[in-house]
Amino acid sequence: MHEFNWGLLIVVYLFLGGLSAGLFFAAGLANYLEVAGQPAYPRIARMGALLAPWPVAIGSGLLILDLGNWYRFYKLFTHFRWESPMSIGSYLLTIFTGIAFVYAFAWLPEDWRQKLFSKVPATWKQVHRLNVDISAHRKTIAMIGFPFSIGVGIYTGVLLGAVSARPFWNTNLVAQMFLFSALSSGAAALLLAMVLDKRNPIETHETKFLITLDIVFISLEFFIILPYLIHGSLSVLAVKQALWLILGGPYTVVFWVFFMGLGLLVPLGIEVYELAPSLLKGRAFHGNRRLALVASSLVLFGGFLLRYIFVYAGQLSSFHKMGGLR
Amino acid sequence: MAMKKRRYALVIDSRKCINCKACVVACKAENEVPIGNFRNWINEDRQGEYPKLRIDFEPEQCHHCEHPSCARVCPTGATWQRKDGIVLVNYDECIGCRYCMIACPYDARYFHEESGTVHKCTLCNHRVDKGDVPACVATCPSKVRVFGDLEDPASRIHELLATRRYRVKEPQTGNGPQLYYLL
Repeated sequence: MHEFNWGLLIVVYLFLGGLSAGLFFAAGLANYLEVAGQPAYPRIARMGALLAPWPVAIGSGLLILDLGNWYRFYKLFTHFRWESPMSIGSYLLTIFTGIAFVYAFAWLPEDWRQKLFSKVPATWKQVHRLNVDISAHRKTIAMIGFPFSIGVGIYTGVLLGAVSARPFWNTNLVAQMFLFSALSSGAAALLLAMVLDKRNPIETHETKFLITLDIVFISLEFFIILPYLIHGSLSVLAVKQALWLILGGPYTVVFWVFFMGLGLLVPLGIEVYELAPSLLKGRAFHGNRRLALVASSLVLFGGFLLRYIFVYAGQLSSFHKMGGLR
Repeated sequence: MAMKKRRYALVIDSRKCINCKACVVACKAENEVPIGNFRNWINEDRQGEYPKLRIDFEPEQCHHCEHPSCARVCPTGATWQRKDGIVLVNYDECIGCRYCMIACPYDARYFHEESGTVHKCTLCNHRVDKGDVPACVATCPSKVRVFGDLEDPASRIHELLATRRYRVKEPQTGNGPQLYYLL
């Protein structure tokens, strides 16, 4: 039996990295939108900015733990190899995490910032010099961060897609699939966080914005998965056989029922059901809290499953099968 | 004086293979390969049912590819290729990310638990550099394997590839494998 070289830690990392990219993107976007000269979604922008750096920071930690020699992780940064997606990704991930933390700092409420620095010993003067208000630079930081967030979202797919030995991954659609899944996870995570924050109840226009954003991303993701399946089925034998893993093989149920069904189409259905009356019939958007909770949780569940299926099924796909000795 | 160009490769006449696994044992002894891991192995292709049964044996190991995808994806450059074609792992640089194991179309690498690094066939470079042949080649009782320098027109391997028909495995991955199987 073929053993899996990459396991659950990698799955979780790919999910968390994408989640941060999506959170940053949605928060940055919300930061730019204005209605009559006033920021339209300042609370979404703040929530997203404050949440964005954490998943990728945790994910990178898991990535390091997954190494055979975790203490050698620094070697990733003493080399640069442009042909290796992992080398490029390490730099991308680090820069993005840095920007996400700076962006979160720019959104930190004044009293939180003072509280944070009050915990730093007074003798650490160099650290206290960082206690500055950079909220005026939010838009600039968001603009610098956008390409890096997109880069991280795409990179997680490229990491797998660039491996010519695994026909399940080796298509140019995996990168985009992971990107839109990441962006949709980010929007969903924001919706979930806003709904769960009971001290500052989410407002209807905020729910509407996040649901609209998520519908766009999920739809794009869906229309990338569709050609992935169609192209794969019409491709050369190795790719066709690799696709069998989700079209009859061991990952069929988890792909179709749990990912495509519960993780993609059901939340999409809920969100369209919520939004359509206000779009088509001009009725007021209500934004049912429970439905938002269910839909956003399912999107996150689906985002995780997509990585799970791809990491595991991809490793099973191969041009070459081992002989009797293994 | 310019160094003579070398390109080491293996020609495998798998019809001579009797599946005795002496090559596997010799490799394990020579390179201290841990229990459960292999640097070379023998594929068995079984066709039909007893009594109309046919089994083909086909030894395999790292193909020391012309364009090794393992070396390409390595983020630290720990996997590298010598000028003579041998693909090696610099164990001091390997961080154990296992990306190379995933990128190898032949699944020829294994994770060495004790050191946390990835190991593979070295074509016994320690022997080759002393003018010897790899342990698997030296031990094979039915002379399945021929080791040599493709750049040397006088070599046996050169002659075999010039006169016999052969194939390589999975050329479609673009790796340019250098294990030549005689037909």
